[in-house]
Amino acid sequence: MTPTVQIEGSTGRVILSGQFDFSAHREFRQVCESLIANTEIREVLVDFQNVNYLDSSALGMLLLLKEKIGSANKTLALVNCRDAVKQVLEIACFGKIFTIR
Amino acid sequence: MKILVVDDTDAVLLLISRFVEALGHTAIQARNGLEAVENWRSHRPDLVLMDMMMPVMSGPEAAAMIKAEAGALWVPIVFVTGVGEENRLAEAIEQGADDYINKPVNFRVLEAKLKAFSRTLDLNRQVVEQSSKLADYYDRAEEEKRVARHLIEQMVNAERLSDPCLEYWLSPAESLSGDLIAAARTPGQVLHVLLADGIGHGLTAALNVLPLTQPFYSMTEKGYGISDILAEMNNKIRQVLPVGRFVAVVLLALDEINQCVEIWNGGMPALQITDAAGVPIKMVQSSNLPLGIVPSHGMDFVPVRHYFEEPGLVVASSDGLIEASSPSGEAFGVERVLLALSGVKNGLRVEAIQNSLADFLQGSAHHDDVSLVVLSFGATANAVELERVSPLPALSDFTMPALLALEECKWRYSLVLGAEELRYINTVPFMMTFVNEIKALTHSQSDVFLILTELFVNAVDHGLLRMDSSLKHSANGMDDYLQQRAERLAQLEEGRIEIDLAGLVQGGQDLLQIRVKDSGPGFDWASWSRQEAVQTTVAHGRGILLLRSLCAGMQFVGCGNEVLAFYRPGVNRWGHA
Repeated sequence: MTPTVQIEGSTGRVILSGQFDFSAHREFRQVCESLIANTEIREVLVDFQNVNYLDSSALGMLLLLKEKIGSANKTLALVNCRDAVKQVLEIACFGKIFTIR
Repeated sequence: MKILVVDDTDAVLLLISRFVEALGHTAIQARNGLEAVENWRSHRPDLVLMDMMMPVMSGPEAAAMIKAEAGALWVPIVFVTGVGEENRLAEAIEQGADDYINKPVNFRVLEAKLKAFSRTLDLNRQVVEQSSKLADYYDRAEEEKRVARHLIEQMVNAERLSDPCLEYWLSPAESLSGDLIAAARTPGQVLHVLLADGIGHGLTAALNVLPLTQPFYSMTEKGYGISDILAEMNNKIRQVLPVGRFVAVVLLALDEINQCVEIWNGGMPALQITDAAGVPIKMVQSSNLPLGIVPSHGMDFVPVRHYFEEPGLVVASSDGLIEASSPSGEAFGVERVLLALSGVKNGLRVEAIQNSLADFLQGSAHHDDVSLVVLSFGATANAVELERVSPLPALSDFTMPALLALEECKWRYSLVLGAEELRYINTVPFMMTFVNEIKALTHSQSDVFLILTELFVNAVDHGLLRMDSSLKHSANGMDDYLQQRAERLAQLEEGRIEIDLAGLVQGGQDLLQIRVKDSGPGFDWASWSRQEAVQTTVAHGRGILLLRSLCAGMQFVGCGNEVLAFYRPGVNRWGHA
């Protein structure tokens, strides 16, 4: 899985595809760090449009990202979560700590 | 490079040696195959340049010996051949020689070949080094896993998992499981069962779940409820694990005496409650974040309660079981779990699910840790209660010790709590830490816990909070009762509870005196006793029956806001440690 990035104004969108699990760890971190370092960007969206599966280590990566985004004073939202992705996020009750749209 | 040059003609030997040295290598000389083998043994050259036809031992023979002795170490052997030796050369190369160069030697070509071999040797050396490093890593990892496995086995007390109410299965995807199952009983015989799933699998996942074991066992032993245990486990995980690590948890408490299962689900697949035949009654979805993500004060640890009158099952599993996928990519799913369980007898349920999963996977492996807990409730409830309640001991053969005797006690433990303290101190488990230390009570912890709990709850609920027991009988009775109790406790402004434990000796026997007094108005215990004597079967009388059966004697004092209970420590009747 190679995440792609779209930047529109002050919003950075990370578009994931396929399986989002530990194997995506490095690329996901790199992409996110570049967005965090970019001072123009106020809001980061993680787009699950093309993700068909995510596991618990992916949830761990999202928690880490949330922590980093928070300390950079930016906001984070998880968007386009459908089916399997939505189900995993619901079981973990991540709606309580993430903005999910 | 160190190069072994072998030729039986002195002139050629010298010529090639000089040339090799001129290129900056070291030359070692040998005049026949045997000398070559000997020099190879003593000097371990990087490469061999060898004539084919030689006295004593031929080149191909020597090459075969060197190759055999070198084993996994690669020593390139290059033959220097004359015209007409092609057939033997082909044979020698087939047997392991690496290259050849024609006589008379073209030194430009030799130089190029040596360079090429030098490059290949470097590469080869790197590969060898890396693979030996890899082998070291592998050995070290195996050793670490062995130690970790031992540690985990020690921390997860397998003995306590063998409980008649509990069937379980734990099947790791790797050699170590990131899923954890633990079980233990409180002093009041409430069975606590923990099912936890750490991120990922293998060693790191196993490390994630380990911090749960200590609070689980030690707090269960003292009789804490599952909400307190969850808060402590959450603190522990936040304390020891890095950000981004969390543990999905199901914690169950089966209380056969009050016919209630408490269930807390944080991040695990939905639990199923079924009747004894496996027909689903209700589901308990995850309604909480997993542990380790937010501070305990931001979490809701209030469990879901299921009250039962008929026997049934609670089925909990990690996502590894539900999501195990068949060769065609279909998930096992909760329906298959329930189907496998239907109509299966106690003790055979795990096996039934194992078989069903094996059929489903058709020989392929599951990729995540699989864990399963089947808790059966209600089957032993009546037996337990009967054993508890009958025979009702005749109180008449017990002589109440004079209150004066308190002055002669061996030890005494007194506690006074105000309204403020009653709100946040979990009094009985707190007192159990002391009770556990008293040697005379070693085998009586369970009884003392039950008596203390009963007396204390009575004093708080009825003495201070003026709760009405009949509330428990309505449809949502227990839940309403508990909610009202929580509200009244939160609003309580005045009130005191005094608890006294004293170790007495009466007629040469140990005797425990428990005194509980509340600051409430008391009640008309004399008329209540008469009434209660004819209505022993009513539900709210269960507590008092329990006390009667456990205590050698019991007595209300004054206006009824003070009660004295006497208990004779003996051997544990429950058969559990």
